Amino acid sequence: MASSSSIASKGSLDIAGEMEVEAFRRLFPHRYYEHYLAQSVRPDARPLNHARETTIALGPVTSVDGSALVKIGESTMLAAIKLEVMTPAADLPDKGCLAVDFYMPPVCSPTVRPGRPAEIAPVISKKLQDVIVSSGMINFEELSLISGKAAWMAYLDIYCLNADGSLFDAALLSAVAAFSHLKVPLVSVNDNGRVTTVPGELLESKSELELVNKERRKLSFKSIPFSLTCLLHNKYILADPTAEEEDIMDTLVTVVVDSIGQLVSLYKAGGMVLANTSTVKDCVALAKRRAAELQNILLESLSEMEVD
Amino acid sequence: MATAPTTYSPSQALERRQQQQRRRIFKEEDWVRSDGRGFNQCRPAFLRTGAANAASGSAYAEFGTTKVIVSVFGPRESKKAMMYSDIGRLNCNVSFTTFSTPIRGQGLDNKEFSSMLHKALEGAIILESFPKTTVDVFALVLESGGSDLPVIISCASLALADAGIMMYDLVSSVSVSCFGKSLIIDPTAEEEAFQDGSFMVTYMPSRKEVTQLTLTGEWSTAKINEAMELCLDACLKLADVMRSCLKEAANAG
Repeated sequence: MASSSSIASKGSLDIAGEMEVEAFRRLFPHRYYEHYLAQSVRPDARPLNHARETTIALGPVTSVDGSALVKIGESTMLAAIKLEVMTPAADLPDKGCLAVDFYMPPVCSPTVRPGRPAEIAPVISKKLQDVIVSSGMINFEELSLISGKAAWMAYLDIYCLNADGSLFDAALLSAVAAFSHLKVPLVSVNDNGRVTTVPGELLESKSELELVNKERRKLSFKSIPFSLTCLLHNKYILADPTAEEEDIMDTLVTVVVDSIGQLVSLYKAGGMVLANTSTVKDCVALAKRRAAELQNILLESLSEMEVD
Repeated sequence: MATAPTTYSPSQALERRQQQQRRRIFKEEDWVRSDGRGFNQCRPAFLRTGAANAASGSAYAEFGTTKVIVSVFGPRESKKAMMYSDIGRLNCNVSFTTFSTPIRGQGLDNKEFSSMLHKALEGAIILESFPKTTVDVFALVLESGGSDLPVIISCASLALADAGIMMYDLVSSVSVSCFGKSLIIDPTAEEEAFQDGSFMVTYMPSRKEVTQLTLTGEWSTAKINEAMELCLDACLKLADVMRSCLKEAANAG
């Protein structure tokens, strides 16, 4: 602050004014936000119920079977799926498996330091696994290769590259985008009984090679889950909060709905504001609208990829 | 998950076969690099600053399939346990994603690279300009496609500049691999796996100072001279690219 005051004293009047606003924002965040909220707008010029601009880039990582880079505002997530072969469990011989890991490396936020992982990371990991499995998006039987002998284990690893609020929303979107980008490699069984990939050139020359999975190159999704986090503050509902907003106001409601309009999960972990039924309904309505929006963005990025 | 089943990658056998083939090729006198580059040709570099707004400064670098993101935090309060210091401290950490390598890894910190990065940058930063505080440089390798450390170092120096940390000069870094009689610059991961020796230089072009130099394997003096010249020339050119990236960002903002 020492440098800012010296600039303010030397600089012109409007620089001084600007500095005071920045200082006010840091010193009295609640009052700063009240000024905005009373006029139904947020400091980044968004209306209260609007989410930030969202982009999806498919296939940024070349060493995996499916990947996606998602940006919601400045929150950036990189998801990658790697398929490996496993022997399915005896009680589920026809099903593959999914392992979700969410990481917050030190690059993503000033609060995370090496050797001290963020507490929220395993929480988001678990929520992602629950939502993806319970939404029924993936038919795990499609991940089976040879009944009782071999099935796919899908390792879904999501890295937060920049943390700026609504991390779960961005992580889930990157996960579903990576799954839509996923291309299952063609495999056959070799003499030792191990499953191996078949390279393209071998496919044309040796047609007698028996392929285990000829048709299943893309997974089919019954429905796709999308999520929206809302922040409750007094009587206001702020959709898709930034990290600053999450820091200042602390009651979060995360709603996950799927592409056919069903409610998958609703999560409100305590907080200062007690939500009444109408507030919860409002959040669900916002989430539904957002899901439609996100589905369009996902479809657009998929069709762009096909053009390329 | 209570009992994680053991898994294996189906492409392992294929990769082994390809590796054997490669090894044979590298033994020959005249071979072509898998990406079609000349021996003295670097991969095209893509650099961008300001990739992450949560950090004081950040940069993203992409050299072929090597993709690295670096965030700089601070100068900020040193850890409580740290003793009083007249000059600033530099703290570096390098980690890899689980999917950065062809075989799925653990995504652990790379202690060796962390310490090398620290040593490479230490000499370039004016530590006197932020006494009592710490600057943290965190790097994450999104995809490891060879010459990882030089890319991390160059990218980190760009992120430091983006954060407005005072430096004597930008630091650029390039490595060279030795294959029998031939030298190849900016090797890919595949080439690095079969190299006879490697040589890496970290350089401040405006001051004509080398901050770090590593050499592994068997080298003759003549070869070292040749490698040094190759690297310094490439460092100079890379620094120009880095400088124009910074200028572009300054003009846009």
